[in-house]
Formats: sequence, structure tokens, C-alpha cells
Amino acid sequence: MSNFMNYIHFPIYSVMVLFLGAFLIVVLGKNKTLRSIIAVLSVSISLACMIALIKPVMVNGEVIAYWMGNRVPAGGYAIGIAMEVDALSLFFGLLISTAVFVSTVYSIQYMAHDENIPQYYTLLLMLAGGVMGLVLSGDIFNMFIMVEILTFAAVALTAFRNRVFGALEAAFKYLVVGCMGSTCILAGTIMLYANAHTLNFAQLSAIIPGNMNTSTKIAFALLFVGFSTKAFIVPFHPLAADAHGAAPASISVLISGVLTKSGIYGIIRLTYFLFQTMGLSTFQFLLVFIGCVSMFLCVTMALAQHDFKRLLAFHSISQIGYVLTAVGLFTAVGFSSGIYHALNHTLFKGLLFLAAGAVLHETGTTNLDELGGLSKKMPHTTVLFLIGAFSISGIPPFNGFASKWMIYQACYQKAVESGNIGYVLVTVICLVTSVLTLASFVKVSQSVFFGRLPEKYENVKEVSFGMRLAMGIFALLCVLTGLFPDLVGKYLTQPAATAAFNASSYIDAMLGEGYAASAMGPFLPAAQNVVFYEAGVWSPMSWLLIMCIVLLAITIVAVTSKYDRVSAVSSGEADAKHALFFSGEEAVYSQVGGSDLFWGFKHNWRHYFSFMHDLHSGILNDYALWAVVDLALVMLFMLIVL
Amino acid sequence: MSVIVNALVDLGYILIFPGFLFCFLCGMLLCGIERKIVARMQKRVGPPILQPMYDFFKLCGKETIVPAVANKTVYLLAPIVGLAALVVIQLFIPVFNFTAFSGNADIIVILYLLLIPALAEIFGAAATGSPFAGVGLSREMVTIISCELPLVLVFLAVGKAVGNAVGSGVVFSMQTIASYQAEHGCLLLKPSMIPAAIAFLLTIPGETGTHPFDAAEAETEICEGMLAEYSGKPLAVYKLSHAVKMLTLTSLFVALFLGGLGTGVILVDGLINFFFCVVITICVVALMDASTARLKIEQLFKYYWTVVSGLAAISLVLAWYGL
Repeated sequence: MSNFMNYIHFPIYSVMVLFLGAFLIVVLGKNKTLRSIIAVLSVSISLACMIALIKPVMVNGEVIAYWMGNRVPAGGYAIGIAMEVDALSLFFGLLISTAVFVSTVYSIQYMAHDENIPQYYTLLLMLAGGVMGLVLSGDIFNMFIMVEILTFAAVALTAFRNRVFGALEAAFKYLVVGCMGSTCILAGTIMLYANAHTLNFAQLSAIIPGNMNTSTKIAFALLFVGFSTKAFIVPFHPLAADAHGAAPASISVLISGVLTKSGIYGIIRLTYFLFQTMGLSTFQFLLVFIGCVSMFLCVTMALAQHDFKRLLAFHSISQIGYVLTAVGLFTAVGFSSGIYHALNHTLFKGLLFLAAGAVLHETGTTNLDELGGLSKKMPHTTVLFLIGAFSISGIPPFNGFASKWMIYQACYQKAVESGNIGYVLVTVICLVTSVLTLASFVKVSQSVFFGRLPEKYENVKEVSFGMRLAMGIFALLCVLTGLFPDLVGKYLTQPAATAAFNASSYIDAMLGEGYAASAMGPFLPAAQNVVFYEAGVWSPMSWLLIMCIVLLAITIVAVTSKYDRVSAVSSGEADAKHALFFSGEEAVYSQVGGSDLFWGFKHNWRHYFSFMHDLHSGILNDYALWAVVDLALVMLFMLIVL
Repeated sequence: MSVIVNALVDLGYILIFPGFLFCFLCGMLLCGIERKIVARMQKRVGPPILQPMYDFFKLCGKETIVPAVANKTVYLLAPIVGLAALVVIQLFIPVFNFTAFSGNADIIVILYLLLIPALAEIFGAAATGSPFAGVGLSREMVTIISCELPLVLVFLAVGKAVGNAVGSGVVFSMQTIASYQAEHGCLLLKPSMIPAAIAFLLTIPGETGTHPFDAAEAETEICEGMLAEYSGKPLAVYKLSHAVKMLTLTSLFVALFLGGLGTGVILVDGLINFFFCVVITICVVALMDASTARLKIEQLFKYYWTVVSGLAAISLVLAWYGL
């Protein structure tokens, strides 16, 4: 029995239990309690398996190579199906299973009034299993299979509320472009197989760098574009906006927190392992360029939105742009800050989508121009939303600040080290994007939670405890990861970065000690041990302490001078002095609509915004064309520079 | 025993110098001097220099009226949080070679900490639900965006210029910037840093919201915007915050560009520091306040992102090539 509890089996358990849960819910899902128990149980086991692996993989630095049916490589070729878990896989596995767990807890009450709930849970668990399988898989063909599973599950979930306006359209767009991406991955896989006669990821990583030819370069372009569609980076960002706008909030959490991470994971594996091209400055340029365009373009697109969830969708891609930029720097600080931001992105974005879901659940709309003043009706949701908003806008001491701040330092450090003034521009774009993100969330706060409450929402209530609990978990993690960046660095990002910079240990763990050295010869990258350090000076805990003391001092002064004895409205009697000041007729008063805020900024950028408006036509043909153009450009880039 | 003494010393830093009490007195004094100078420039007699302090205590005695539709918690908490954040920033800015809490924040952190007071004011205003506050906070946010780009460029230029000399590539630590200046003389003497210093001086009125960059307050137009619904003690705290903000930004300028002029004696250094703050306030804030009219918000944005950012960018490029 103890043999089954050996931790080397945990990766396969964590994938299997999700698929098993999916099938069990199909069979037994009629009963409401039973299906909730099955769903929560399977995601909890999956999460527990991942947490149990922290000690051997993250702390002891082991790489788990797991051959299904014990079909170990024979005759120099890895034929069997393999799973391989190094610190990088585990890092993504951890944040995925956390997001899936919270999303499932939230779903129980959030989806209670929908139809076809068994199908919902089945698809949700299929999606989760697909992404888990993708990040834990050790061979590239299984990665493709998992990509297919997660794409179709995500498409079906996008259209789950198919009576919502635009849901089917969004799902159809996603289906077409997503399938183009999957097809690209398949084609790339086939070309790699034709070249290297193996599908095992570790073996491919050993063979490909030494045997570059035109077809492997084309394969890289295909795989890169394929994973780009999964991460929704430019030019695939319009799909994300549509999909998030239509999908239930719990699914948006998965699409933004989990699906995009699978794309980022694929790109990291591709550039750091399979082709080991990240050392080339041209490749750093490719990733940083796409990252910066995604970052800036999507944050400006978000400023122009007037739907809560579409706005969040664009911000999601903008933050993924940060991750891609940082990862593309190919420095230790850059990579650690990039994946740190990936972790934080899952947490704060999940929190924000759940808050949007709570608003939608209670009011039935996410239109920023219609909402307002909900903070009095939904105080807890407001506080949780604000934590998420401060995190994503990088306000100290929340987690978004910690990781973004490391990204700024990494970018500027890179600029100085490489002597390339272009990276200064990257730093400036990162910093400006951050303040534009803040502006966008001020807009949401003003037009959803603060401002004036429309009369039709007089009877809105706070959401149920289960939904607040799910948001609370995310909020707590947002604060903790922001306050203890050194712990996150030590136990999560540093091992993962070390894994990324040591492709040879990944290869050796799979195929036997010394394989990488003998197969790769001169192409073997030098082993690098990443030591976590912060590039600048910032200690959030002592800041918080000082802030608390000052706050306390001011509060004491304020209270002793009777600051708290305020004249608020007492029950029943209305006094004119408690009314708002309108300087004239109240009747002509109208609140500044969400989409009209910041017009001083928008006015100066009106040509840019109208250009962007025309560009994002919403027509599927255009977006499919963008995908083709993107593929052609990346192929051209590969053939020219490599 | 030494732990207790250290704790008491730290508490002294936080509450007295350069913390709470120092911020209160110097901020109010700075504000009073500014008002007096503006009045003299406009051929008025002007209020006594202690007038902001009288105003503060008078407002404290007034009734605090919370609007019926406001979110009371946010409405009352926002001014306190904003003030606390400002005091904390003041603690992280070195007074020449003296820093109350070294190793707690670098220049990029201060850039982001500076957002907190503005944000607190925005959320407090949003919580009132007033239409004037809505317009005011929209403009305030655009002002923040406008000032952010020049500030970022100035900070990167300073980091690079100091990094060149120290030899570690790039330095954002306030401590290193201070000790560099103590050794090599203040940064303002470097020709490449002069455009950046001018750009920083031009962002001070934008950050503090004085003429011509006061579109967010605009008393005559939108009734002080974000403060429209505030009264009594919260309003007093806001007035204090505005005064402290002027002190914070001017002392940040002194720390970045005029460092190294201190004597080493804390009290004397504090006085010299404050003297520089007064000079900058008179030369930049008061002069512009008295001689210009309010810009429209889109003009403000354009001005900062072209003229001021351009100046800062010149410095950055010069510093980049080691001048």
C-alpha cells in the first residue's frame, strides 16, 4: 500500500483524479450534493498532490521522471509515455491547481441557478485536467492532446450560458482561432518527429539544438504561434475579450489564470528547453517585443471598455505581456520576476473576475455605465475587489507591486548590461502601463462600487458566504505573496528559475545521467544556479509596521479630538445638510459615465483610439487572418535570424 | 535593553523627526509661506504665515457632515490613510546623509508610494457619490498619469547617472544616491542632470495641484472637485495632507539633486533641508501659482507628456552615454 503513496506517483494522480471526477459527475451528477462533493474532492486531491511535491521537488531539487507502465527508454529511444516534473512544471502545476480549487468552490453557489450543471462540472474538470496534464507531461505529443482537451472544454464553457448575448459568437471565434493554434502545435510536433524520431520532450531538447535546419525552424514558428493562441497574446487578444465577456466568472478565472499560463508554460519550454534559443539576443527581442506590444496595446484597449468583464479580459493579457517581457530578458532576475508575476496574475485576476461575477450575480449586468454605488450594498465584495485592484495596479505592499517592481529592475538592469537603449524604453513602457492599469481600476471602482446607486439596485444584497470565501482565499494569498516576496522567492520562483536555466538536468533525469552531455556536445548550455536576490531595496513587512504605527498615531490624535463623532443620517429624519451638493437643480444631475472618465487623456489619444477601434472589427475573418499573418511573420523571423 | 532604546528611537523618528510632528509643522509653514508670497506677488497683503495652522484648528472644531449616500467608512478613512502614507514617505527620504529607516525603500518604491495619498483622496471622493467629486477624481487620475511619465524618466536618469559613477550599472537606492552626492557633490552640478531637475521642478505643481495644474480642484469651476462633500476634521486632514505633500516633493528634490550639502549634524541638516524646500517652493510653486491661469485637463496632459517628459528624456539619453 505504501508503494502507492510514494510521491513519484503524485503527478499522475493529480491529473487522473480530475478526469476521473469528470466522468463520475457524468454518471452520478444528477444529485446536487453528490456532484459538488465529487468536484470539490477531486480538485482538493489534485491540489494536495501538488503541495505534497513541494518538498522533494522545490526544496530538495529532485526531478521526477515517471514512465507509464514502467516502459523505460530502450536502445537510446524513449518510446513510452512519460511525465516529467521539475520545479518549473510544479510551479505552474501549483498555481493551476490553486485557481481550479477556488473556482470550483465559487461555482457551487455561483452556478446554482443555471441549467445543465452536471455538464458544467464535467467540462470544468476536463479543462483543469487538460491544463494539469499539459504542464506535467514529459512528451510533446501528450502536450498536444492536452491542448486539444483544454481548448474544446474551454470553448464549450465559453458558450455555456448560451442564452447570453454574444456567447455563441465568442465561442465560435474561440473555436476557429483556437483550432488554428492547436493545428499549428500538431504540425510543429510532426515536423519535430520527422527530424528527431522521438516525441519525448527531454530527448528532443537534447537532439534539436544541435540539428537545426529549415524544417525545425518552421516547427518552432508553428509551436510558438500555437502556444501564443493559448496565452492570448497579441494578435490573439480580441478572442480573450469576447470569451471572458460571455463565460461565467468562475470560467473566466480559469481562462485567464490557468489557460493563459499553459500558453506561457509552452513558450518557456519551447525557448528555454526545446530550442534553447533564449540565449540569442534576437529571441529575447522577439519575446520582449511581443510582450511590450501586448502590455501596452491591451491596457489602452482596456481603458476604452465599458463592460466590467471585457475590461478585465484586456488587463489579463496586459499582465501576461509583463510576464512574457520579463521571461524574455533571459536573466535570473527577469525570469524569477516573470514567473512571480505569473503567480500573482493568477491570484489577483482570479479575485477580480470573481468580484465581477459577484456583481453580475446580484445585479444581472456588468455594464459600467449602468452600475454604481454598490459599496453600501456589497461591502465585503468591495473590500475584496479593492485588494485585487490595488494588487493588479501595483500599489505597495500588495503582490502585484512586488513582482512588477522586480520586473522594472530586471528590465533596467538588462538595459545597462546589454548596453541596448531599447530596454530603457521597455522599462518606461512597463512603468507607464502600470499607472494606466491603475487608472482603469479607478474607473471600475468609481462606476461600479462607488458613485451613485441607481434606484433599480436598491434591493441588491451581499453575495453568499461560499462566494465570499472563494474571493477571500484569493485576497489572502494576494496579501501574503506581496508581504513575503523572499519566501515566495526561496520556495517557488528560485527553484523554478534554476530548473529553467539548467535544461541538462531535465534531460538527464529522463534519459540517464550524462545523456545530455553526450548527445549535445558543444551545444550543452552551462549549468547555472539561480540564487534569489532582490534587485533593489524594499522590505514590505517593515513598511507595513511603520505604516501601522503612523496610522495608529494619527487615529489616536483624530479620535481624541472627537474625529469619530460625526453627524451621519439618523434613522428616519432627513436633513438637508446630508444631501449632496448639486449647485442647482438635482434633476439635471447625471453621473459621469464609466466610459467618459479620463476624457482628458483619451482626447489626446483620440486618433490612436479610433485607429484601434477600427482595427478590432469583431469579424472572425479578420482575426483568423491576423493568426495567419502572425504565423508568417514568425516563420520569416525564424528563417532570417536563426 | 538596547532593543527598547532602539524601539524608542524609531518611535521618535516616526512621531517627531522626520515623521509626524516635523511634517505637520514644516508642511503648514511651507504652505503659509507660499500663500504669503503669492499674495505679495499679486500686490495683496496676504494672510499671516501661520494662517494654514489657524485654518486647520478651526476646521477641527467644525461639524463633520457625512452625506447620506456616502460610504461612511471609506469617506472617513481615506484622509487618514493618505496622510499616514505621506508621513511614511517622508521617513524614507534621506535628509542628506541621515535616513530614519535605511534599506526600506528605493526610488521606484517611493514613486509608487506617492500614488497612495492621491489614491486615498480619489477613493474618498468616489465614496461620496457627488457629481463634482466624479469630475474631480477623473481629472486627478489624468493628472497622475500626466506626472507619472516625467517622474519615471527623471528617476531612471538619476539611477543611471549615479550608477555610472558608482560602477554597478544602475542604482535606485536612495541611500547610495545620498552617499554618492556626499562624495562627488550634488547632482545638480552635473550638466546632464539639469534638464531632469527642471522636469522634476515642473512636476511639483502638478503633483500638489497648484496653478496652472489645478484642474482637479478648480474651486471656481467644480467646487474643489474631490473635496466638494468634505467638511470638518476630514477636510482639515486633507488640507494638512496637501501641505505635507508639498514638503515631501520638495525634500525629494533636495535628496535627489541637492544632496551632499549637509553638515552631518541632524538638526542643522533638517534646517538646511527645510530652507531648500522653502526656496524651491517660492521659486517654483509660488511663482507659477501667482503668474499663470489654469490649464484645461487635456492641455495639462499634453504639456507633461511632451515638454516636461522631453526634458527628462534628454537627461536620460545624456546620462546613458555617460555625460
